[in-house]
Amino acid sequence: MIPLPQPDQETRFFWDACARKELMILRCNACHLYIHPPRPACRRCGSTDVGPARVSGRGVIHSYTVTAQPVPGYEPPFTVVLVDLEEQEGLRLVSQIVDVEPQDVRIGMPVEVTFRQASDDVWLPFFAWRR
Amino acid sequence: MATLRDVAIVGVGYSEIERRSEKSVTQLTIEAAAAAVADAALTFQDIDGMASYPGSYDSIPCFTLIDAAGIPGVTWFADISGWAPAAIAPVIDAAHAVALGSCQTALVFRSVKRNREKAPGVVTTPRVGGDMQFRAPFGDAMTSQWLAMWARRHMHEYGTTEEHLGAIAVTFRDHAALNARAPLRDPITLDDYFASRVVTTPFRLLDCDFPVDGAGAVVITTMERARDRPHTPVKVLGGEVATGERPDWEQWPDLTTMASKHASDALWRRTGMSAADVDVAEVYDGFSWLALCWLEDLGFCEKGEGGPFIAEGNVRLGGRIPANTHGGSLSGGRLHAISHVIECVEQLRGEAGERQVEGARTGVVTAGGGTMGGALLLGTNY
Repeated sequence: MIPLPQPDQETRFFWDACARKELMILRCNACHLYIHPPRPACRRCGSTDVGPARVSGRGVIHSYTVTAQPVPGYEPPFTVVLVDLEEQEGLRLVSQIVDVEPQDVRIGMPVEVTFRQASDDVWLPFFAWRR
Repeated sequence: MATLRDVAIVGVGYSEIERRSEKSVTQLTIEAAAAAVADAALTFQDIDGMASYPGSYDSIPCFTLIDAAGIPGVTWFADISGWAPAAIAPVIDAAHAVALGSCQTALVFRSVKRNREKAPGVVTTPRVGGDMQFRAPFGDAMTSQWLAMWARRHMHEYGTTEEHLGAIAVTFRDHAALNARAPLRDPITLDDYFASRVVTTPFRLLDCDFPVDGAGAVVITTMERARDRPHTPVKVLGGEVATGERPDWEQWPDLTTMASKHASDALWRRTGMSAADVDVAEVYDGFSWLALCWLEDLGFCEKGEGGPFIAEGNVRLGGRIPANTHGGSLSGGRLHAISHVIECVEQLRGEAGERQVEGARTGVVTAGGGTMGGALLLGTNY
């Protein structure tokens, strides 16, 4: 079974948004820095005025690994990716790429979020090749 | 503040090292501790400081060893928790404690007994909290996967190849062949490397450290006391632990350079020395690529040149900078760098037998990967 997220007060918005098929990232309302993983303050300006902001869901693959052994919830092979979101340099999400053969995955490949249901109430933001 | 005292490693020791030991982790720890204390021609009565990094594996805290072995006089102790560069962190902490006078003679240990029920990284709870909630649901829960993506980025930016990674495994195995304590001693070829199963690309099984049950320990005291001990004192010239501005496996800005860069820079800045002063390097190799990155970030070659540097034989015994002369963790067993510390001490004492680096008097030891790094500089004749 896929290990499901245990949302807390700082991360609940992320998973609630995913369940609506929206990708939201925490953002500083003072200096507009995106903050991921979510933290209660802005590391750049120190503001505690932070809140969810909707992002495009577009990005490029920063790195990846094709895992060849089973892990809970997934049968090999599957491709774990780090996605650089287009909104901010170095703003990365861990995810999996779907519908692309492992040997075809490349660093720099443009991708777009696509949501997959993992349980009754959990949707996971996966990524697909943006051709 | 007290005057800082010079400190040295005066004793080293191992327990048995087995793929599957029948002994408990406490038994293994007592064995290693007793061996290290005996090596220094001391007794448990002489130990008044203790440090360890129990980590997330099966191990024991200081209190268990104190109670089980009967070490009555410990006044300073440290169990390091959370993320830390394995066995280097407690060695540095103990060296600081002795230097400051918090204790006179400290025992540092690292014990590892594998959990038979649960492999590292396998999530057994239905829900995952903290930062892992952004990894585990995507099938990304193993350290091998996190660092595989760092290695892949290095390959992308610098042209590092699978053959380069294979050269690391082959080189360290050749060194292990000269180490009677190493669990993997049969030589391997690049063909063997490519035939080993893929774990998570670009890592194959032979890119991963070899899990064992065992313990290692070292005894640290003042340089003044060290001169009365039977072995050549191995002076602690410097020790640094480092991370970076984003200590996160994914958000770390440049995945081609680990905290190894920050720890290395700090080590050279604080000691006024450089890679050019080093005769032997025992660098952390929980995965092959970590050793490559450490060698680059310590400055043994240019950034990005680690692959060719290793493949050309520069880190072999007899090469420019022999590395992981005991076989590292890849072939010497996963002891989380306490074996790297012990090997460096044995090299600098001139007691490494067949694998001795001629005239070695300065050695660097490192631990950690990704977002954490620890580097230790040891030397004789200082």
